[in-house]
Amino acid sequence: MTNVNLIKKAIEWGTEKSPWIIHFNAGACNGCDIETIDSLTPRYDLERVGILKQGSPRHADILVCTGAVTLQTRDRLIQIYEQMSDPKFVIAIGTCACTGGIFEDCYCVTGGIDSVIPVDVYVPGCAVRPEAIISAVDKLLEKLKNAEKDENQQKNAEKIEEKTETAKNGEETAEQKEEPKNDA
Amino acid sequence: MISFLKMLLAAFIFPGFLFLSVYSLVLDFIDRKLYARMQNRVGPPWYQPVADFFKLIGKKTLIPVEANKMMFRIMPLVSLAAVAAAFLYVPVLGQDAVFSFDGDLIIVLYFLTVPPIAAFLAGWYSRGVYATIGATRILTQLFVYEVPLFISLLAPTLIAGTWSISELTAFYAAHPLYALINLPAAFAALISFQCKLERAPFDTPEAETEIVSGALVEYGGRLLAFFKMAHSCELVLVISLFSAVFLPFMTGYVFADFLLYIVKTLVILLLLTLMRVSMARLKINNVVSFCWKVLAPVALFQVVLNLVIRGSLQI
Repeated sequence: MTNVNLIKKAIEWGTEKSPWIIHFNAGACNGCDIETIDSLTPRYDLERVGILKQGSPRHADILVCTGAVTLQTRDRLIQIYEQMSDPKFVIAIGTCACTGGIFEDCYCVTGGIDSVIPVDVYVPGCAVRPEAIISAVDKLLEKLKNAEKDENQQKNAEKIEEKTETAKNGEETAEQKEEPKNDA
Repeated sequence: MISFLKMLLAAFIFPGFLFLSVYSLVLDFIDRKLYARMQNRVGPPWYQPVADFFKLIGKKTLIPVEANKMMFRIMPLVSLAAVAAAFLYVPVLGQDAVFSFDGDLIIVLYFLTVPPIAAFLAGWYSRGVYATIGATRILTQLFVYEVPLFISLLAPTLIAGTWSISELTAFYAAHPLYALINLPAAFAALISFQCKLERAPFDTPEAETEIVSGALVEYGGRLLAFFKMAHSCELVLVISLFSAVFLPFMTGYVFADFLLYIVKTLVILLLLTLMRVSMARLKINNVVSFCWKVLAPVALFQVVLNLVIRGSLQI
């Protein structure tokens, strides 16, 4: 039993110490993308805290996502999210990614990142500074640590599963919600 | 019975599998740190390779629907097993390897061919577009660097008159001046090893900016962890083999020899990292023409030189 616990602890420690990120542009104006790439340059040197940029979603732990989700990137975003293996996290970079920003209610935009996939950390700003992105990753890892301490992980996982289901069937649930209002 | 236990201890603990995996983590860290320092960065902390390994172990393994499940699961272990088996024939503690017989140099060279083939099969059976392109590039590169690598590693055996790595090391340790003759082959072998390890400027099969990460693009979680481990163990194996064949200088005391082994491996790692930092990626056609037009003639020149020296010295 102690061996199993030790390995579990080592895996938790590893998850905190080696977050590998993948960057995805869901329809941003490229302002936030430039800043995201900025934060990976030798000036900030994110390898100090173990952050590496990966090309393949299957290798990565954190999806760093910029821009409001357009109808064209929506399916690709879901596909990339589903290709990542658990445990996986999403950071929404920029105001557009958080809420839809100035593109809200546009005919070709579904809204922020959280209208499609669950988001763990929101970073507002137009464009976001690289320091804010680094602090967001730090906050995410802190959140992870606390979640492990509180042992609320299972509840969170259930919530996330529900959220993905509602995001997939977004239109149906919206209709269901509206119906009781009409009755009242 | 006791000799059998001793053999098991040597094969699995020291200088076998456990030493190989621990030293591979150490060399992996030193490689990344040197790379960072040469780019004017601070670089990762010392525990970074360990943290990466444990993180990957803990992640869920996803297998693509179209992939061949058995091949997808087996290939990382095949790669790791081949490297670990080959390491037993390379001298670490003094001049004697754990096992040795006349011809083990050939065996080690063939074991070294297994990791690229395993990566090729892994990429091929993943059935992804990028994985297939990466896999074919691995195979193209394999056919190209294997010839200069084999010739340049077999050239020193012409003077020593043996195909056993341990006896080869013992011969050159006794006659250190003969080792200097093999410098052209050492040059060719170092570059071929860089090519085998798929590090820049020969990282065409896993070119991040063009084909995402080559043959291993569909891998994740535990299977990727084993592939990464096999890759860094391959680095240790290649460096140890190079130091045994081309830098066979010994003091005669076991402990001092082990320290000398570590110094030698670090120096070779410095050269390999320097090559990785200072050069950009070659296109696959440039890799092919470089290996055939520069490395293969250098290795062949070494064979001719060694035959002439062997004939004139009547060894």
